[in-house]
Amino acid sequence: MKVLIIEDEPALRASIQEYLERQGYICELAADYKQAINKVNEFDYDCVVADISLPLGNGLDVIKELKLLESRAGIIIISAKDSLEDKLSGLELGADDYLTKPFHLSELNARVNAILRRKNFDGNTTINFSEITIKPASKTVLVHNKSITLTGKEYQLLLYFIANQHRVVTKSALAGHLWGDEYDQAGSYDFIYTHIKNLRKKMLEAGGEDYIKTVYGTGYRFG
Amino acid sequence: MKLLTKTTLYFLLIMLPVFAAGAFYLYTKFNKEIKYETDEELVNDKLQWMRYLDTASVNNPVFRISTPEFNLQPTEKAAQSKHKLKGVNIYQEPENTYAPFRQLSQVITLHNNNYELVLRKSLIEKDDLIKNVVFVMLAAFAGLFLFVLLINWLISKSVWKPFYHSLEKIQRLQLNKMEATVFDHTVTHEFNQLNAALNSMTTRIHNDYTNIKELTEDAAHEMQTPLAIAQSKLELLLQDDTLSEAQLQSILISYDELQRLSKLNHNLLLLAKIENQQYPVTEQPDLCAVIEKYLSLFEELIREKDLIIHKEMTDSAPWPLHPALTDIMVSNLLGNAIKYNYQNGRIDIRVNASTFSISNTSELPEIPADMLFQRFKKQNTSYTNSNGLGLAIVKKIADSYRLQLHYNFENGEHTITVITAFSH
Repeated sequence: MKVLIIEDEPALRASIQEYLERQGYICELAADYKQAINKVNEFDYDCVVADISLPLGNGLDVIKELKLLESRAGIIIISAKDSLEDKLSGLELGADDYLTKPFHLSELNARVNAILRRKNFDGNTTINFSEITIKPASKTVLVHNKSITLTGKEYQLLLYFIANQHRVVTKSALAGHLWGDEYDQAGSYDFIYTHIKNLRKKMLEAGGEDYIKTVYGTGYRFG
Repeated sequence: MKLLTKTTLYFLLIMLPVFAAGAFYLYTKFNKEIKYETDEELVNDKLQWMRYLDTASVNNPVFRISTPEFNLQPTEKAAQSKHKLKGVNIYQEPENTYAPFRQLSQVITLHNNNYELVLRKSLIEKDDLIKNVVFVMLAAFAGLFLFVLLINWLISKSVWKPFYHSLEKIQRLQLNKMEATVFDHTVTHEFNQLNAALNSMTTRIHNDYTNIKELTEDAAHEMQTPLAIAQSKLELLLQDDTLSEAQLQSILISYDELQRLSKLNHNLLLLAKIENQQYPVTEQPDLCAVIEKYLSLFEELIREKDLIIHKEMTDSAPWPLHPALTDIMVSNLLGNAIKYNYQNGRIDIRVNASTFSISNTSELPEIPADMLFQRFKKQNTSYTNSNGLGLAIVKKIADSYRLQLHYNFENGEHTITVITAFSH
């Protein structure tokens, strides 16, 4: 899977690259508008992660170019501008998702993952992790080919974990993923523990292994 | 009071003494004229009478005549060479009133006898005169009044038209649509000046507005980018297995604090954006649906505290508010109601087309109303996951979109009520 990262801040570009490559993606980089246009014209990408404010041009124009080329690449906008117009015009141009800076790398990775799954297999694929099989189309989860019933949040958690497998995922990232911007209304992250406990219990009951590891109280690691 | 009403009123108030003075002048003038005419008649009568009496008194009779109009009595007084004229009031038996008369008196000599001659003429017309003058004046005043009203109405329809036109435009002025507003040229010099001033003002305001808007967005960009870099580096660092637990803890705390900072920045920018009216009212999202959405989003939190939710909601409640702001308002209020609630507490939600109120039980005492909606006024320091901006944002939304916001504390329940000004 090839991902193009269009981001003018070198440090952030490197962080994204490092995280996504660890999850098995091949990353290419573009630091400005010109480089981005050259890259999308030269190569095919499965996913493009694009900043809006770029030197020499605008990220939205890169999206236009991609659409002009009839690219099948999934597009995620990452922007510091949390402006509604930007968000809407980006999505109207054909971007698949919009992420406001700063974001959790695990969240970006999960979204890249979801878009690639949707784009490449039209959702008709299964996600496999050892004895766990997930069918996103029907939102069913099988452990050792035995179906288990998960709540909406538990299902989201599992997908997030598998997308970020072997990585430490912080509680705030999990809370942000499950509750969006509103998670800080909650007052604490304690309730995440309840969901994880239930998910772990259901998978263990179905004969699965315990993949969710608590990491020094900082967060969780799956697998 | 309308400008026209005011000028009309002033005009009429000024006209009132003018008319009164006119009436007084006319009255005295006519009065004088009548007196003069009557006196002339009296003198004429006197001459006639003298001539008659002169011939009638040849045989030297003694006259003694007394009528209201003509009086001739013998007198011892010395003869007078000139008559005296004056006004008198004489009792009228039938009407039981005094009536005004002009009176001519003179002591005359008829064949060596002195007589006092008194001639009188009624001035009863004088009463009518006042009546007539007052009537004419009132009629003229009423006529003028109607005339002024009519003229003012016509003037307001034509001359003031551009003014009202401009006024209407100003009232409908929206910050983000300001550049489209142009105050047209008129035929009146003053209105042209006004419209020119308004045009330059709206242009200036629009430019300022755009500048501020750009500044806010630039500020967001400039601050969020370094935050994003730092956060991403810390997140990568967290993946390092070789770090000790204490080191990971330190990284995690920095990571969480960075998020708090970015959330704070985000909320401050949001406040500025709301203040700049950057969320125009283009649709009417259903408040009930938004509340249901957040109730299900916060489901776990509600269940964790075993809160009882009591809802009194209409089927739908379309509120004239930007969808993003509706979300923020509901999530902030509902979030607070959950966060500051105690175990097994309760939340009451009442919604209709014009009112949204949310009550919750809490261990917090009554909050002074002036503190409640202020920025960074945290009610309880034990709730660390609060930036003290939630209610300030709700307040800003209310202020910017003409909603009323009330806080009430009763029987241990905190109630916040939002009322839309466009109630049906």
